[in-house]
Amino acid sequence: MSKRDVLMEVENVSVTFGSGSNSVEAVKNCSLTVHEGEPIGIVGESGSGKSTLARVMAGLQPPSAGEIRFRGDNVFKGNKSFQSGNRNQVQMVFQDPYGSLNPQLNGLSAVAEAVRFHAKVGKDEAEQKALELLERMGIGRLDALKQPRQLSGGQRQRVSVARALSASPSVLLADEPTSAIDQSAQAQLLKLFLGLLNDGLAIVLVSHDLGVIRYLTKRVYVMKDGVFVESGDTETVFNDPQEDYTKMLLASIPGELGKAARAKLKK
Amino acid sequence: MTSDVKLLDINNVAIGIERRKRETLVLVREANFDVNYGEMVGIVGESGSGKTMICRSIIGTLQRRGASVIGGEVLFEGLDLRTINEAKWKSLRGKVIGYVPQSALAGPNPVLTIEKQLAEALSQVDGEGSMKNRSKELLDLVKIRRVDTVMKQYPYQLSGGMRQRVMIACALASRPKLLIADEPTTGLDVTVQSQIMELLREIRRDLGTAIILISHDLALVDEVCDKIVVMHAGATVEVGPTSSMAKPRHPYTVALNSSRIDVAKPGGELITIKGNPPSVGQWNPGCRFAERCDYVQPDCLVGDHPALSGKKGDHQSACLHADKIGKI
Repeated sequence: MSKRDVLMEVENVSVTFGSGSNSVEAVKNCSLTVHEGEPIGIVGESGSGKSTLARVMAGLQPPSAGEIRFRGDNVFKGNKSFQSGNRNQVQMVFQDPYGSLNPQLNGLSAVAEAVRFHAKVGKDEAEQKALELLERMGIGRLDALKQPRQLSGGQRQRVSVARALSASPSVLLADEPTSAIDQSAQAQLLKLFLGLLNDGLAIVLVSHDLGVIRYLTKRVYVMKDGVFVESGDTETVFNDPQEDYTKMLLASIPGELGKAARAKLKK
Repeated sequence: MTSDVKLLDINNVAIGIERRKRETLVLVREANFDVNYGEMVGIVGESGSGKTMICRSIIGTLQRRGASVIGGEVLFEGLDLRTINEAKWKSLRGKVIGYVPQSALAGPNPVLTIEKQLAEALSQVDGEGSMKNRSKELLDLVKIRRVDTVMKQYPYQLSGGMRQRVMIACALASRPKLLIADEPTTGLDVTVQSQIMELLREIRRDLGTAIILISHDLALVDEVCDKIVVMHAGATVEVGPTSSMAKPRHPYTVALNSSRIDVAKPGGELITIKGNPPSVGQWNPGCRFAERCDYVQPDCLVGDHPALSGKKGDHQSACLHADKIGKI
């Protein structure tokens, strides 16, 4: 793992919303590193700042302090991000599969539009490429021609992933991609993510669902009130959590995973 | 609490929605399960499997969506809910049968303070003491601290978990015999989810309320419910006590079980269910799961959807080849 090249570095990043007495520091002095092809997880409750951090990493929100580097280049110059290219290299998949697709575009057009933008190719070629991407996400031609409202939540989420992939990114930021879809759709999406990892894509998975994090990631950061309270090898954090907060999070998972943690807490 | 009358008996229920040209689209058919007094029953299934429709048939709000029960019986304490009029519904809905809707964030009325919200629910039922004290009691019941502050607050000032607690408090105002919670923790954190589940368990224990918990999370239902009902494409495909559901007897439940990430090895194989659930109105003859099933046989593709085997109350499966499960 250590031999892999560093892809993204987040160094002492803080994000403050508002000013004066009303200001809220959503992210406080967080640092993390993403290597090529590495799956990492950021976990925490609502309001812990994990989505804000993801937005900063995607270049959508400038940090109040600190630095984000992509392959050594500073992502933000002032309030503008990715001025020296590389915008396409970091792509994001959002939480809400219902809100993130244009309701008037079918899956094929949504993805083809992104392909044309990123690859600068003609319409036919873009559609061909879009179909391939959708196919890879398990969306056949028939479903690709449907409007978002005719697709299930899981299918919509896979269209969103296909759209993100159209930029041929090297890192995918997924903000709670599985929390709005049901269990079998979730399994399907995670399977696709595993495939993407095998192809060398790095994935930053933001979630409150520790089951998903454990399944997919190798390294995890536990976030509380804007701060990383614990981080490390996913396996280690799950088997031997150090912080009370992490233990509490683990014990909240329904089913087998939480059982062991609950038993430990009771002791 | 007579032993032969169930609190709720869903007997071969079909639900349809009328479309143009008097054509009826069937959303649910062959739904079968029952709920005993004080029992906690989980209903699981993919989106669109008819879980919410069944609930609406129990609280009588199907008509508002243009749908209706077109077959079978919905028996509540022996009373067929299909035959009652709106006046009778008013004495049941929100009184004897409580309902906690799916979306906690959209649930409470945004322009009412929590106190007014609760007072509205309480005004429907008789009780002793001042409205304020009764409201406070309700908030205590759902383990809300700082009751006096919360009473003056508006929903937007509360977190998702708190809002859901308020919704549960409203539903409990009349001390219902049955509480229906439709995906009460969707969109909430795991930590909040486990608190809400704990709360439901306590309500069941302390008030003896029977609870129907709708969820798509098998692991969750597995942990808190006495009985599990599995729905697929509008039909009950398997039902049984939680303990015996660990050994599922329907291929769909088997598949659901193997897509659980809490039991999967990290990075290991997740078995996903083939294809998508059949669209409403496009059900093939025979078993509606056949197209997605690993165990499919020629006789699965003809005739009616298989009926549940065995006796109500036992572990039942709607699979013609339940004996083959686990042997392939």
